[in-house]
Amino acid sequence: MNLVGLALRNLKRRPVRTCLSILGIGLAVGSALALIALSRSIQDSTREGMDEIGDDLVVMQKGASDIFGGFIPEQTVERIAAIPGVVRASGELVTFAPSSYVNSVLTLGWPDTSYLWKKVPLREGRVPAMGERHVAVLGDTAAASLGKKVGDDLELIGETFHVVGIAAYTTIVNRGLVLVPLTDLQEASYRPRQVTVVHVNVEHGSGRTELAPVRAAIEGLGNVVASTANEVLDNDRNFAILEAVSLAVAIIAVAMSALNVLNALVMATQERTREIGIFAAIGWSNARIMMSIVIEGVLMCVIGCIVGVLLSFLAAFAFPRIPAIGNLISFKPSVALIAPVLMAAFVLCILGSLLPAWRAVRMVPAEALRRM
Amino acid sequence: MIQAIERNAGSDKSPDAVPQVALRGISRLYDGGAIAALRNVDLQIKAGDCVAIVGASGSGKSSLVNLLCGIDYPTSGAVLWEGRPLRTRQQWARLRRLRIGIVFQEFNLIPTLTALENVELALLGRGLSTKRRHTRAAVVLDRVGLEPRMHNLVTRLSGGERQRVAIARAIVNEPKLLLADEPTGNLDSVSAANVTDLLFRLREKTGMTLILVTHDDALAARCARRVRIRDGVIVDDTSQAIVARTIGPKAAT
Repeated sequence: MNLVGLALRNLKRRPVRTCLSILGIGLAVGSALALIALSRSIQDSTREGMDEIGDDLVVMQKGASDIFGGFIPEQTVERIAAIPGVVRASGELVTFAPSSYVNSVLTLGWPDTSYLWKKVPLREGRVPAMGERHVAVLGDTAAASLGKKVGDDLELIGETFHVVGIAAYTTIVNRGLVLVPLTDLQEASYRPRQVTVVHVNVEHGSGRTELAPVRAAIEGLGNVVASTANEVLDNDRNFAILEAVSLAVAIIAVAMSALNVLNALVMATQERTREIGIFAAIGWSNARIMMSIVIEGVLMCVIGCIVGVLLSFLAAFAFPRIPAIGNLISFKPSVALIAPVLMAAFVLCILGSLLPAWRAVRMVPAEALRRM
Repeated sequence: MIQAIERNAGSDKSPDAVPQVALRGISRLYDGGAIAALRNVDLQIKAGDCVAIVGASGSGKSSLVNLLCGIDYPTSGAVLWEGRPLRTRQQWARLRRLRIGIVFQEFNLIPTLTALENVELALLGRGLSTKRRHTRAAVVLDRVGLEPRMHNLVTRLSGGERQRVAIARAIVNEPKLLLADEPTGNLDSVSAANVTDLLFRLREKTGMTLILVTHDDALAARCARRVRIRDGVIVDDTSQAIVARTIGPKAAT
C-alpha cells in the first residue's frame, strides 16, 4: 500500500462520481484541443493553399486587415511586374461569393493573361480561353458541394457562370475554390479595375536576403506591403481574432476540468473527513495528507487528459468525413498542440486539488474523528 | 500490595525522573467557553506507567486523552513530552508517527483497505521499502493473532478482530506510549477480555507506557495507577495516594 494505491482505491470507491469527473475533464481537454486545433488548422490550411499556388511574395494594400480587406488598383500589378528581380506578377480579386446552392464560396478572379491559370492542376475540362467571359473552374470539393460538373451552369453573385473545368488541388482550401476571370468578378462585386492581392514570383529563389530588395522596391510604390505567405497569415486580423477566441474558450474549457477536480475532491474530502482524522491520528504529516488528496486529483487529471486526447483524435478522424467541416479545413492534433493544453490542465487540476487538501489539514484531528 | 503495584507500574519510578508526558494547567473549552471539558488539569505520566483514566461518560476522559496525544489542542496550558512543550502540529504528528500509538473505541480503520494495508498505513513516511512495510505489518498482525485474516477487508472482520487490527496499527512503530480510549467499548465480553489481555501482554513485553481510558472499574483495577475525572477535574489519582502513603503526607502535598 502506498499513496498512489490508496488514491486509486478511493477513486474506485466512488465509481460513478469518479467516471463522471474523469469524463468531464476529458471533454474539457478534448474541447480545448479541438478548438485550438481547428483554429490552427484553418491557418495551416490557408498557408498550405497559398504554398500550393506558389508565391514568393503576396502584395496587399497597406493596413489591410486581411486578404479580403484591401484594394489595389490593377495598374499597380504592371508596375510590380516591371520591378527588377520580379519574374512574374498576377493580380487577384478574392471574395466570398454568395451562390444559390450554398451560402458562399471562396472565389478568386484572375486576369486572362495570369500565369496562375497555367498552374491549375486540371482534373477535367479546361481553363478559360483568352477573352472568354462568365466561365468558371471549380475545385473538386467545391464542385461536389455545389453539385456541379463540367458543362453545368453556376450562379455566383447573381451572375451565371458556365463550368468549364474541375481542378484537382491537394490542399483543403484550394479544393474548395471557384476560379473565374478577373473582369467578371470585378463587375459582379462592383470592384472595377481593382484587385485585393498581387501574387509575385521572384528571381533566384525565395530566401529572405533575395526577397529583401524586391520587397523594398514594391513597397516603394506606395500604399502597398509585400509579405511572404506566412507573414500574411501571421498578420491577418481574422486569424488573430479566431485564435484569440479559440484560446479563450480553450482556457475556459480547461478551467472547467479543474473545477471538476475541485468539486470531486471537495466532496470526497468532506465525506472522508474521518479518514483524514485517522491519517492525522496515526502520525501522517500535513504534507503527506495533502499529497494523498492531490494524488487523487492528479490521477483523475491523467486519466481525464488521456480521454481528452483520445477524443481529440476521434474528432480528427471524424471531422474530415463531415462535409461541412472537412471541405473547409483539415484537423491535425500534434504534440506541439497537445503538450501546452495538457500542461495547463495539469497545473489547474493540481491547483484544484490543493484547496480541498488544504482544508483537510486545517481540521483538528479529534474533531475530524468525531465526524461520521 | 503497594510493592506489587509499584512493580507493575513501570521502570522509572524515581520522584525526580522527567515525566514522559505531562499536562500543565490544561483547560479545554468548547463553544467559546460555554462548555469546559477540562479545567486547569495537571497530570504527569512517567515512562513505563500503566494508568487507567476513569470517569463517567462526559467527564472529560476522552478530551484528556486527545490532548495527551496531540489530536486536540488545549485552550490554555501546556502539554510536555519528556519535559519539552509541544506547540506545533508537525511536532505532534512526528511524535504520533514515532512514539505514540492510539487505539480508539470506534476502531477508526479505513474500510476500503485490508487488515494488512491498514497497519501498513502507519508505516508510510518511515522511509521503509514496500517489502519491509509489508513484512513488518504482517509480523505485528501475527503477534495480535490476525495473521490468517490479514488480507481480509476490515469490514469483513468481527469487532474484536477489528480492534486487534487497530492495536496492531498502534504498535507497529514500537511506540513508547500506547493510548487506548475505551478499547473494549464496542466489543462483546469475550472479545473485550481478549483485547484487554492483548494490551496488557504487549505492555509487559515491551515496557511501553499504557494509558487506558475506561469507565469499567474492573478493567481499571488492572492498572497500577488510576486517575479519576469528574466534570473536567481530576478528583482522584491513586499514584499520589501511593506516594502519600509511602513517603508521608508532607511530601505528598
